[in-house]
Amino acid sequence: MKEENIRNFCIIAHIDHGKSTLADRILELTGAIDKRELKSQMLDSMDLERERGITIKLNAVQLSYKYNDETYQLNLIDTPGHVDFSYEVSRSLAACEGAILVVDAAQGVEAQTLANLYLALDNNLTVIPVINKIDLPSADPDKVIGELENIGFEKKDIVLTSAKTGVGVEELLEKIISVIPSPKGDRKSPLKALIFDSLFDSYRGVITSIRVVDGEVHTGDIIRMMETDAVYDVVGLSINNPKEKEVSVLRAGEVGYLFASIKSISDVHVGDTITLDDNPAKEALPGYKPMKPTVYCGLYPIESSKFEDLREALNKLKLNDAALTFEPETSKALGFGFRCGFLGLLHMEIVEERIEREFGIDLIATSPSVVYEVEMTDKSKILVDSPTKMPRRELINKTYEPYVKCSIFTPSEYIGPLMELCQDKRGTFINIDYLDTERVTINYELPLSEIVYDFFDRLKSSTKGYASFDYEVIGYKESNLVKMDILLNGEIVDALSVIVHKDFAYKRGRLVVEKLKEIIPRQLFEVPIQAAIGMHVIARETVRALRKDVLAKCYGGDVTRKKKLLEKQKEGKKRMKQIGSVEVPQEAFLSILSTKE
Amino acid sequence: MIKSCYIHIPFCNKICSYCDFPKLLYNANYVDKYLDSLEKEIKSIYKNDILDTLYIGGGTPSSLSLEQLSRLFNILGNLKKSIDIEYTIECNFSSLTKDKLELFKKVGVNRISLGIESIDKNNLKLLEREEYTDEIVNKIKLIRDIGINNINVDLMYALPGETIEVLEKDLDFILSLDVEHISTYSLIIEDHTKLKISNIKNIDEDLDYEMYRLINNKLKSNGYKHYEISNYSKDCFESRHNKCYWLNDEYYGFGLGAASYIDNKRITNTRSITKYINNGYSIVCEDLDIDSKIEYEIMLNLRLCCGIDLDRFKNKYGIFLSEKYDYNYLVNTGLLILNNNCLFIPEDKLYISNQIIVKLLQNKL
Repeated sequence: MKEENIRNFCIIAHIDHGKSTLADRILELTGAIDKRELKSQMLDSMDLERERGITIKLNAVQLSYKYNDETYQLNLIDTPGHVDFSYEVSRSLAACEGAILVVDAAQGVEAQTLANLYLALDNNLTVIPVINKIDLPSADPDKVIGELENIGFEKKDIVLTSAKTGVGVEELLEKIISVIPSPKGDRKSPLKALIFDSLFDSYRGVITSIRVVDGEVHTGDIIRMMETDAVYDVVGLSINNPKEKEVSVLRAGEVGYLFASIKSISDVHVGDTITLDDNPAKEALPGYKPMKPTVYCGLYPIESSKFEDLREALNKLKLNDAALTFEPETSKALGFGFRCGFLGLLHMEIVEERIEREFGIDLIATSPSVVYEVEMTDKSKILVDSPTKMPRRELINKTYEPYVKCSIFTPSEYIGPLMELCQDKRGTFINIDYLDTERVTINYELPLSEIVYDFFDRLKSSTKGYASFDYEVIGYKESNLVKMDILLNGEIVDALSVIVHKDFAYKRGRLVVEKLKEIIPRQLFEVPIQAAIGMHVIARETVRALRKDVLAKCYGGDVTRKKKLLEKQKEGKKRMKQIGSVEVPQEAFLSILSTKE
Repeated sequence: MIKSCYIHIPFCNKICSYCDFPKLLYNANYVDKYLDSLEKEIKSIYKNDILDTLYIGGGTPSSLSLEQLSRLFNILGNLKKSIDIEYTIECNFSSLTKDKLELFKKVGVNRISLGIESIDKNNLKLLEREEYTDEIVNKIKLIRDIGINNINVDLMYALPGETIEVLEKDLDFILSLDVEHISTYSLIIEDHTKLKISNIKNIDEDLDYEMYRLINNKLKSNGYKHYEISNYSKDCFESRHNKCYWLNDEYYGFGLGAASYIDNKRITNTRSITKYINNGYSIVCEDLDIDSKIEYEIMLNLRLCCGIDLDRFKNKYGIFLSEKYDYNYLVNTGLLILNNNCLFIPEDKLYISNQIIVKLLQNKL
């Protein structure tokens, strides 16, 4: 296909605004699949994706569409819809020349609509604004048109669609051809292909999704990854339409899959450039960034015998998820588990859920932690991603924590409560942008650790769910951080230690010890529960000693009832974790670790 | 040889609010049928063992008429009794008459168990028991005049609303009776009792414990020996029948809802009176292997202040307890005491014996 007849585009939207349904409809209209085989939301191949309405892994589909007697090749590149995957989003945007910005006709512009739009504009994409779901009774297209005008679009460029009924989709396809520019690569130059996704296949190894920018790649070529310098033979090339079809060559402007017997997904970095080993490009494509976890937590199997199963589950997930990191970790309280790193909170939740659902392992997750920077008294710097790795206080000179720029998109009536929330979360106000009189974007600088703690729940509850938010990490700032330990009968329960800002330690400490007092049953002796910073106790409660247990009478010698009672007590003890000499019910950890204020 | 036998008489003139034992309001017609069925049950099971203890409990056995009691003792006349048998009957004050006492004496009953529970008006109201305070002293004198000189009284405490002062008065009164044996029970609100249904809550655990300590101190300083979690007696007046239970020895149990332990089997009778009078007796039967027998042994022995006699244990099961359970940790932490080859729970920890027993049972080797 000549470059002039190729259009590479993606669909970007706030979560649930109908991106996947629109993609389905486009597939159907271009004849890629017929209605009967259309499983709703064809592009989302994982069950979890379909259920949560979140696209986790990327997909690219090649479509063929006739317009004015010319046949065009449309490459639809699907992108993940959440901030945690923003780097993946930006790479798939870099594989396109245009983007369809989908806005729900009832919901209107939301935080991620804006975030995605700015990402698309950063990548110099031509953006087609689409108002979707116009069939909804609550749809208000005129209002949404106004909102789109406020962010710089012209009314005449906006397409109104209902992906559900198919209205407007034809018009959209024509717009894609007439508005989005064709690729402008040089097929004679040395090969430059952008890796915008990778996927592990148990038969073929790692499959990379590529967009050829310059030159050509053929089956049998010897290729080189410019970032990692790894060299491979191209075993096969294919396209999706949307069934996989093998091809012998991919040329500049085209999108497809490349497999090369790559055994580990860690060898393939999204954003890297593929070139030919014997005729390499002079420089790589711009914009490569290694992916770094921003949130860490410990994952432990509730049944300690499932530790090896958990390792296997993580290994399997890692095959398709280069951003997931993990290493074994031991906790006195929880036993053997793994310290895992994630791109963000949603990524963390998805991984936890997949382990529980797909691998059937019940988990205890410790409080999420961000990566802190600690400057030691000898001026050396270390990174701390877990409270257990925090050095002793006297060895610390300064502590730093990651900050984010947080944009909260909200109906204006919630400005007050939201500013209060951000203030409460140690935020620094940047500004408020008015989209119109009713909708605003509040921008704050916030410590990432506060967002990780319970920000999202509080945001939702203080705005009845109307606000949405987005954040990007902007760097480290000095902060007075301390490690707070929880002690049971004088012994530190490692799984409950947290790193907190000193000013908030007391409040957190009180909350945890009070909760523990409720949950820990009376023992044979008195159990002090303390929250402490170093040697300094900041909160204390006591579980009083057990005074009496039930003394069944034995009238008529009916001792079997008493035995049953003891059996029950014995069973109950099996579900207890022994922390030093204290027996703590499993539920205690679960409920403390999910402490909400 | 089985040496003990329990007979259950489920009839009462009034139902107390806390009672969860098989019982029903007195009804002459039912009593006769009940005694017929009881006779059949005994005949079909009893194997001519010579009994060392015989205990008639309830319900309220003394609520039967003189004739019905004569009939009962006729039936029990078929049981062989050792010369120094401990022969107990439970009585309440309103139904206990001179005639009945004379009958008891005649047939060889030598121990009377009386439910006093409390003399406090509020307590009695809660328990739905009548007040007999004035009668108690006279009736006890009557029992002794007849020549029965082994008397037990029951005391209940830790009742909702009860204070330490109320308990002290109850204790002073009971001590003034100078009986041989005192059973003390902290109120348990059992399922399906009137108390449970009226949603009555237990008192604070710490107050309960203070009451337990008060009882223990007071009874001990007045010459009673604490020999089992809830039981106190003067020297030589420990209840031999109850000790049969705590020593995990076998016993017969006849009557509605009665439990027995015969030939390694723990059997519980039906609690349905209609089934029982139609001769449908046992409903639950647990056949015990050696491991569960040992579990029972531990659980029951440890209720006694003298605990597990390790020599007796070895003789009974052919192995040492230490081969089956590791109790060193509990001994080292003071939760058990090993003395004179007896393993027992220290007196100040008897009140949390369940926890200690469970800990021991968890340390199975």
